[in-house]
Amino acid sequence: MRILVVGGGTGGTIVANNLARRLSAEIRARKVRLTMLSASDKHMYQPGLLYVAFGQMTPDQLYRDQASLLEGSIDFHVDPVEQFHLDQNKVITKSGKTYEYDILVMATGSRIVPEEIPGMAEGAETFYTEASAVKMFKRLREIQEGTVAVVVGVPHKCPIAPVELVFGLHDYFKARGIRDKIKIKYHYPIGRIHTIKEVAIWAEPEFKRMGIEYETLFNVSEVDVENKVVRSEEGTETPYEMLIAIPPHRGMEVIEQNNLGEGGWIPTDRFKLTMNGHDNVYVVGDTTNLPVSKTGSAAHFEAEVVSENIASIIKIGTPVRDYDGKVYCFIETGHDSATYAMFNYQNPPDLKPPSKPMHWFKMAYNQMYWTSVRGLL
Amino acid sequence: MTTQTETPLDAMPNEDLQRLVEFAQLVTAGRDAMSDEIVTRLAGAMSEGLTLLDRLTRNEGLMHLLKVLDRQDTQHLLIALSEAIHAASQEIPAAPPATGGLGCMLRVARDPGTQEGLRLLSVFGKHLSHSMREQHRRGG
Repeated sequence: MRILVVGGGTGGTIVANNLARRLSAEIRARKVRLTMLSASDKHMYQPGLLYVAFGQMTPDQLYRDQASLLEGSIDFHVDPVEQFHLDQNKVITKSGKTYEYDILVMATGSRIVPEEIPGMAEGAETFYTEASAVKMFKRLREIQEGTVAVVVGVPHKCPIAPVELVFGLHDYFKARGIRDKIKIKYHYPIGRIHTIKEVAIWAEPEFKRMGIEYETLFNVSEVDVENKVVRSEEGTETPYEMLIAIPPHRGMEVIEQNNLGEGGWIPTDRFKLTMNGHDNVYVVGDTTNLPVSKTGSAAHFEAEVVSENIASIIKIGTPVRDYDGKVYCFIETGHDSATYAMFNYQNPPDLKPPSKPMHWFKMAYNQMYWTSVRGLL
Repeated sequence: MTTQTETPLDAMPNEDLQRLVEFAQLVTAGRDAMSDEIVTRLAGAMSEGLTLLDRLTRNEGLMHLLKVLDRQDTQHLLIALSEAIHAASQEIPAAPPATGGLGCMLRVARDPGTQEGLRLLSVFGKHLSHSMREQHRRGG
């Protein structure tokens, strides 16, 4: 049995490590072969980028060698896939090699596309890459007064990021003693301040308490870099001194180029996590088109279901678990307090009051992440 | 007229209450002394420690070695090994440098200690080779 995992991010790494643990006897007996193909030899802890943007972490703290995170029995290659031939159960990589499989796991992730909104790439700060997070921090240190506008593109990774960013800005400027000289204005594309109703209800009084202005139904149409104005499709505009954008996201180009899913999101069965029409192809993490948040935690919980099901198919011939849509998001409510949102397909989140121990839990998780991707937590 | 409702705290002896207050003070002091950096370092150490523990406990060879080391006869061997390390560490620096040549080789070869040492190494080598062949045959 040949299992091929494409993508070495959170979802792909957890699937591969969990499978290596569950199928260790089969791999040793050479009945199962487990291969991972990734575009990079490095693994980045992506949630850490927000800390980089506020100067709370340095980029080098976010990386580990991918090979060091993988079980020794996984055959790992840095060789991104360029062609998927799902009808022939094979993929072809950038180096020209062909990898055949019996079971394929797609965990290719997502990418930012700020260039889809005129002016956003040139005029807005963001924190979704290492370079942009460092640049944003340098800009934050320079600004002395004026309006810091936050705009949100859709769809985007980590739904909590916009509110965490705003809370972080409030605390950052307060610590610098210039909060009274900075106006923070938040813009959100739908009719409330967050896509998750319960988060919106909880965050609104927090925004008021912190003196954060907000405008809903603001879908960014363009950034006028020269005049420092951001405009919406609804016809409103906000002048700014500094603009921070949560850029729109898409699935990876290779998914679109191979016609596997519109926007790079693969049509996925919400319970079985198999690609629609392909029972031997599993999809995890950002790559799915599921109506759940594109977060590391969703990728983690999906990866556990996928690996358990693949292992049970090999051992007893049938899958044993369904994905229930579980997502667990930490919400940093500033630089020294946090809360969390946990929800699934059936149950909405029930947010608790923020606390310092919860912030420490998040700080601790930033380190425990490496234990988590190794398939231990 | 007012009525007083008795709470569980009212029923508590003063000493117990005092201890509760002291415990709360301890928790507050610990909380105040903590910082993000301390939490990060502790969690980092815990994360690496867990990973190491996981690797050790899933290392088949190491687990087998531990099982063998638990046996009484192996413990005798370990004691003998530690005594041999101690004796050798004293004997080697005190011994004159080897003079070299065939005569020296002959003297060393005639020494019963050398012969016992060679026998020990050859017995160890014989069992090691046999075990490796067996494992290879079983597809390990």
